[in-house]
Amino acid sequence: MNRWFSGNSATGPTPAEEPVAPTEGLRDTLLRLAACEARMLEGQVNFLTPELLQVDSLVREAAGTLEDALKTLDRSVQHQHLLAGEIQAAMQSSLGGDSDGEAAGGNFDAMSATIMGTIDGFVNHIAEISESTVQLAEQVNDIRERSQRMETMLEELTEIAGRTHLLSLNASIEAAHARQFGAGFAVVAGEVSKLADRSTALSNTIQEQVLGTRQALERTDAHVHAIASQDMDVALKSKGESESLVMALRTSNWIVKDLVSQLEQNARKVTEQVGHVVRSLQFEDLVHQTLMACLKELGNLLEQAQAWKALEVSLKAGEPEAAALASLEATLGQIEAARVQFRAVKSGSLAAGEVDLF
Amino acid sequence: MGHCILTVDDSSTMRQMITFTLKGAGFDVLEAGDGLEALEVAKGKKLSLIITDVNMPRMDGITLVQRMRALPEFKFTPILVLTTESDASMKQKGKEAGATGWIVKPFSPEKLLDVVNKVI
Repeated sequence: MNRWFSGNSATGPTPAEEPVAPTEGLRDTLLRLAACEARMLEGQVNFLTPELLQVDSLVREAAGTLEDALKTLDRSVQHQHLLAGEIQAAMQSSLGGDSDGEAAGGNFDAMSATIMGTIDGFVNHIAEISESTVQLAEQVNDIRERSQRMETMLEELTEIAGRTHLLSLNASIEAAHARQFGAGFAVVAGEVSKLADRSTALSNTIQEQVLGTRQALERTDAHVHAIASQDMDVALKSKGESESLVMALRTSNWIVKDLVSQLEQNARKVTEQVGHVVRSLQFEDLVHQTLMACLKELGNLLEQAQAWKALEVSLKAGEPEAAALASLEATLGQIEAARVQFRAVKSGSLAAGEVDLF
Repeated sequence: MGHCILTVDDSSTMRQMITFTLKGAGFDVLEAGDGLEALEVAKGKKLSLIITDVNMPRMDGITLVQRMRALPEFKFTPILVLTTESDASMKQKGKEAGATGWIVKPFSPEKLLDVVNKVI
């Protein structure tokens, strides 16, 4: 039984609702009802069809945009993943380790230890040199003191030479007083005087050399002291700077590692979200199927409108009411029987569907 | 040489999503819009798997499974049906036609890849 005859119409007035004039015959009432039902059904179909097609078009367009966005997003994530890998590889390459992130940190620590060990060795070596320099300075000082003593001795030597010269002069005078008896003595006195002169000249030369040596030693002493103090200062300063540098590098290393880890974590989260988008986008197809099922139903409604028009035409042609109604009932029955009772979308939520392997 | 998978669906969005998921996992993917096109695309190809929808114009998925099973080169190729249909009777039809498994839409990429890796 179709909805009109069962009195359950959801789209048009039932016979009971249709006002029937007391003077009006059954044929006229049926004619009005048929025309009204056909008009209403056609009106609904004509209104709903473009609306549903527009919804389908809009959803498809939105899905297309989302698909493009999804592909771009996926490419970005892949690129990000690639970059993170390259950063890790570059870190590994510069540290000479394998591809494990922890190993990279270990290698960096080992490298830091090596650098600091080398610097410590360098500083110790500088300290040894500095110590030797201090010893050298002490020795220079010792030589300088000895030079000073030598100068004093040379002064005494000069004084002795002076006295010797004076003595030889007195001896010459005494030899002159002694006339021919003092001739030999005068020769000796002359030789002594010459020796005293040579001794004085030699002493002066030695004094000049010793003075020059002492001055050179004083300059050397000043340089040695300067070197001794500067070496340690520079070494300790360099060590401090190197330690700061290694600490800064170590901090940078851990920051980069942390950033790479965050990048990977982010990429994993985006990939997970991409999965949700892939699942959600499939609802474009499900919506399309539902809309197509609705359009089929609208096609059925249009066929019902045609049946009602046929009733109107039959009645106007003079066919008996009973026969015309029987024909309508048969046609509506056929339409009902031909309807495909199919619900396109079974899923009631966005959850993934079941899997069954045979 | 990688596995080649043929995906058959009249919805462009569905084909795109399946292709996106499979290519992301390193598979080669061929596409067809219905059963008849799938038979054409599959000619001369060595396929590791076919994933097909059921309701499609010109030739539906169940018929496609039957036709594929009749071809010697695809007699033992795994065929997964990916559809909105979840009725037991439809599933039975698919099984009788020779399908390897039945997945109800929408699929999650992880689950689809899990099933694909099981049947390949």
